[in-house]
Amino acid sequence: MLLREVEYAKPGSIAEALELLAANEGARALAGGQTLINVMKARAASPDMLVDLNGLEELRGIELAGDGTLTIGAMTTYSELMRSAEAKARPILGEVCATIADVQVRNRGTIGGNVCSNDPTNHLPPLMVAVRARMTIAGAGVGSTEAAGSGGVGSAGAGAGIHEREVPAEEFFLGVYLTAVGPGELLTRISIPAGRKDGFAAVTLGTDGTCICNAAASVNGAVRVALGCVDAVPVLVTADSPGAVADAVRAAGLQPPSDVHASSEYRTHLAAVLATRAAEEAAAR
Amino acid sequence: MDVTVTANGTTYARDVEPRKLLVHFLRDDLDLTGAHVGCDTGNCGACSVILDGVLVKSCMLLAVQANGASIETVEGLAEDGELTPLQQAFNEHHALQCGYCTPGMLMSATALLRENSSPSDDEIKKALQGNICRCTGYWNIVEAVKAVGK
Amino acid sequence: MTETTLAPAPVEIQKGWGGQSVRRKEDKRLLQGEGVFVDDVKRHGMGYLHFVRSPYAHAHITRVDVSAAEAVDGVYGTLTGEEVAALTEPFFQISSVPGANVKDYSLAVGKVRYVGEPVVAVVAETRELARDASELVEVEYEPLPAVIDARRAQDPDAPVLHEEAGGNLMWSGLYSWGDLDAAFAEADRVVRIPELHFHRFNSTPLECDGALVEFNRGVGQWTIHTNNQFPGFAAIMMGPAMRVGLDKLRFVTQDIGGGFGNKITSHPQLVVCCLLARKLNRPVQWTEWRTDFHLSMSHGNERWFSDTEVAVKDDGTLLGFRTKALDDAGAWLRYEPLGGVIWAQVTPGMYRWRHIELEFTQVATNKAPVSPNRGYSRMQHLWFTERVIDIVAHELGLDPVEVRKRNYVRAEDMPYETPNGCVYDSGDYAAMLDLALELVGYDSIPARRAAAKERGRLLGVGIGSTLDSGTNNFGQSRLINPELQFSGNNEVATVKLDIFGEIVVTLGTTPQGQGHETTAAQVVADILKCSVDDVHVRAGHDSYWNSHAGFSGTYASQFAVTGLGAVKGATEMLAAEIKKLAGAVFGGVPADALELADGGVRIKDDHDAFLPFMACGAIVNANNAGLPEDLDVTLNCRYVYRPPFEVPDVERKFGNLTLTYAAQVHVAVVEVDPETGAYEIVDYAAVDDCGKRINPQIVEGQVMGATAQAIGAAIHEVYEYDEDGNLLTPNFYDYHVPHSLDMPPLATGAIESPSPFTPLGTKGMGEGGGAGIHAICAAIQDATGQVVTDSHNPYRRVWQLLQEGARA
Repeated sequence: MLLREVEYAKPGSIAEALELLAANEGARALAGGQTLINVMKARAASPDMLVDLNGLEELRGIELAGDGTLTIGAMTTYSELMRSAEAKARPILGEVCATIADVQVRNRGTIGGNVCSNDPTNHLPPLMVAVRARMTIAGAGVGSTEAAGSGGVGSAGAGAGIHEREVPAEEFFLGVYLTAVGPGELLTRISIPAGRKDGFAAVTLGTDGTCICNAAASVNGAVRVALGCVDAVPVLVTADSPGAVADAVRAAGLQPPSDVHASSEYRTHLAAVLATRAAEEAAAR
Repeated sequence: MDVTVTANGTTYARDVEPRKLLVHFLRDDLDLTGAHVGCDTGNCGACSVILDGVLVKSCMLLAVQANGASIETVEGLAEDGELTPLQQAFNEHHALQCGYCTPGMLMSATALLRENSSPSDDEIKKALQGNICRCTGYWNIVEAVKAVGK
Repeated sequence: MTETTLAPAPVEIQKGWGGQSVRRKEDKRLLQGEGVFVDDVKRHGMGYLHFVRSPYAHAHITRVDVSAAEAVDGVYGTLTGEEVAALTEPFFQISSVPGANVKDYSLAVGKVRYVGEPVVAVVAETRELARDASELVEVEYEPLPAVIDARRAQDPDAPVLHEEAGGNLMWSGLYSWGDLDAAFAEADRVVRIPELHFHRFNSTPLECDGALVEFNRGVGQWTIHTNNQFPGFAAIMMGPAMRVGLDKLRFVTQDIGGGFGNKITSHPQLVVCCLLARKLNRPVQWTEWRTDFHLSMSHGNERWFSDTEVAVKDDGTLLGFRTKALDDAGAWLRYEPLGGVIWAQVTPGMYRWRHIELEFTQVATNKAPVSPNRGYSRMQHLWFTERVIDIVAHELGLDPVEVRKRNYVRAEDMPYETPNGCVYDSGDYAAMLDLALELVGYDSIPARRAAAKERGRLLGVGIGSTLDSGTNNFGQSRLINPELQFSGNNEVATVKLDIFGEIVVTLGTTPQGQGHETTAAQVVADILKCSVDDVHVRAGHDSYWNSHAGFSGTYASQFAVTGLGAVKGATEMLAAEIKKLAGAVFGGVPADALELADGGVRIKDDHDAFLPFMACGAIVNANNAGLPEDLDVTLNCRYVYRPPFEVPDVERKFGNLTLTYAAQVHVAVVEVDPETGAYEIVDYAAVDDCGKRINPQIVEGQVMGATAQAIGAAIHEVYEYDEDGNLLTPNFYDYHVPHSLDMPPLATGAIESPSPFTPLGTKGMGEGGGAGIHAICAAIQDATGQVVTDSHNPYRRVWQLLQEGARA
């Protein structure tokens, strides 16, 4: 319940944030804090420094482009997304955010934080995979594209020496709590293509609680379903129709973990059921 | 680190460790003991306060993150001991028993009513989802908030 | 005589305060965040305490080194098990042999026996520093195999927790009444139930345990600000252990954030705080964190009922049963093994069977120690009887409503003596069931079931009836250990008039939200014929008020009888004294010519002859010259309520164990998603009968709270361990406590069957009896068609039941 000693910095720009993260090996980005602070209370992780991103307006905001692409700043809170008129272009986003935790958590917790923490029971990782999101990672690293300084959401500004690279959601999630965002890097924005035929189904601990198993689906001709809670990272399956999804899930050879909430067998069963339901919901929109 | 906050209209300047949680800062440093600690994982909501107009759980914020902010706690609701209509409704509808969750419930209900002056049952329950009560079962709390909403 | 009401009666002016839903006095401070909970209390120079806790379920402690921790600037000191063993006696054990041989100290001595057991205490200038320094305490362990499943605890090769006890058996007893052979001979058939299991959980009060302890060196007196809800018990345990007289332990409580029985056994931690306050010569503050509470405090009794055999007639008449109850006490006996007899308050449940045999065995395991949890030990047994009813009905193809009505104790049987000599004081269970069924719209169930089926859902309806036995006869402890010298019960209240006529009430209880200040004021106001606003009830408990007795506290569903009984007694004493005083002041008017009215006392036939309370108070306290020498009046009346009990017959295990029997009947309607096993409660009714209700709104609040906790326990809440003894649900993230969205629509109803045995016709009712658990189990059984044998039915278990049904 009580944190270890930690240093604290509140940078005024993305560049400053990246500098702090690169210069301090034990530094971690502090986004909404709705996960990280609890992790630190339990002393399961104790960064030496917290780099508070809450002052970075560049990381907030949602833009809707003419072609229907949504760009969401990584520090956008769930509440902000739910209220956003632009985000309604892809309704599943706000609908799923509304089922995450509670009002207080949604007022501080961020889209980027949910995605970067990559807890296997999180809602957004499978959702991002299903909707073919693309993550923009900024850093001073070699081999990435120099930021053009477009001035849009999640953009660092030109000439700041910042490099950006874009990673598709399918390649973003690497392991439990592990993503493609490396040391000295930050997720700055998420781009989501246009679309409305989406679905999400979950069995949770209590109403709108932590997920025991979840599935996010998107239909664009074929059905694309991302399963959460069944592995370290979302598991993607595809099928021609909602009716074929259950078989596709079974063919994926899932071996989900057993824990106090569900056995491996039960999770495997739920995955097939929820994937089908998510796909049916998507197809029906 | 220096922290300056305004709580219920009064400004406080203190020197705190960065690791100090906002809830402990309120309770231990500012003697505002209305916000309570009920869990370790940010689930119970007993620590809920309103920070710059936004309802938050003060156990998941560092005090230093509140630097320059304006905080409202339960102590700031009633003026000169005059209970607000919401507090009176809690009393009338027996929406509290031990009172430990009550400050957090009141802050969550206050935040809701500012945004939605006439919430439905479902809207009230959704707004209070982050506040655990072990005594009342919530039914009377929902009734109390609904009564104020009329 | 019963009265059926669907809702609390509307407030009536001037008809007496009892029976009115008077608004609570407690609320004003609580609503403004001005309650004083133990963590709100601060003292200059206080040190914050953090416990170093065992990471092993079972291990020898081979080395403890606090030097690195103590060397840190700002650390005030530490306390180890070795010091505790030198400074204190082991805690008194309630049990007879073998449990009696257990050596229980307030820190682990030589061994640790559950994950989370306190091993060392560190006190420092700030909370954070105490936490940091605790990581510098070096403890070396030699891990031992652990016994986690109580069913394995008596295996020949089972690891033994307490060598002095010779094994893990803590207590056992055989209870047998009636003539079982005759019952089974008369039966048309025997229903056999191999195993029923009641799971481990508790009520997780939102405020965890805590204390701030000060030691007055000059007089050797500790002041213990705490939220312990049974100071009488704590004092009896702590005094002898600390080798001090009980008056050296002053307990002060004010506002307590929920207790539900889970704040009864904090005495080990309180002893640690006391020893450190003395050792360090500064106040010591201890806050228990949520994880600490889950790991170490007051788990409810986990109990198996095995090889149950029920003698039944084909028409569903129940003649008797035999069963073997195995109870898991966890690592220490703190209030146990009283659970081994307390269930017997409700031996037959709500039913008329007369032939009962129960073999009770309690064992120790490497898990958190068990101690009272709302419904303590009766809930487990009542769940068992309800399961038996529903399983018998299932096997015989009978309607569970009819089987209940056929077997319920009837209103005309009351007061009803059970096979073991307990007396159910009053009640009409069949009427309650009818009311509950009506409230839930039982007649529409077939149509709702069909409609649910259309939507791909399985609808089920289930009944849960239960008793809340209240006001214990502590003589039942002798059935556990005949050497014990406890019996009866008591509670104290003091009511006085101050100099300016202010009516001041002091209770011995330690309320945690039950509204004692308000209901006590109602009783006082009715007797003194004044307004509740004129009655000032002190908040909380303080030993210095000398308004408490050996059993003082708030637990076991008794305030409405013991607490209010004491209040009634003290107020009547005061009323009599007021009249005596006025009689003397009026020149020798007899008491029966006087009446209390309008905040004073007057002659019945001459209202002008009126002495306001203020005058009474002033005369006795400050202006008493000239009063008759033999006028025996203090206007400061202390009354000890003592319920009418005998010491039970230890040989026959026979006698009245509790004074009152409140009842609740719940009906739950669930809809199960057969593809996932997930289910929701779509409708719910709860009917209670607690005799005369002093404040109907407060009573209903208790019923609602008990319902919500039962729902949580039935669906989500469990303390589950892995095979190494690690608790898998050590916080609210994994131990899901229901929130407002999880609650079903609720209809409540009440009837009042006054108790003939209590001063006000009231019955204690705060615990409830877990009716929600019984009802939800029954509803799932109805929905799935599968027999439910476990009290805990998360979605995964319902899915399993459906799989078993599909395979069958």
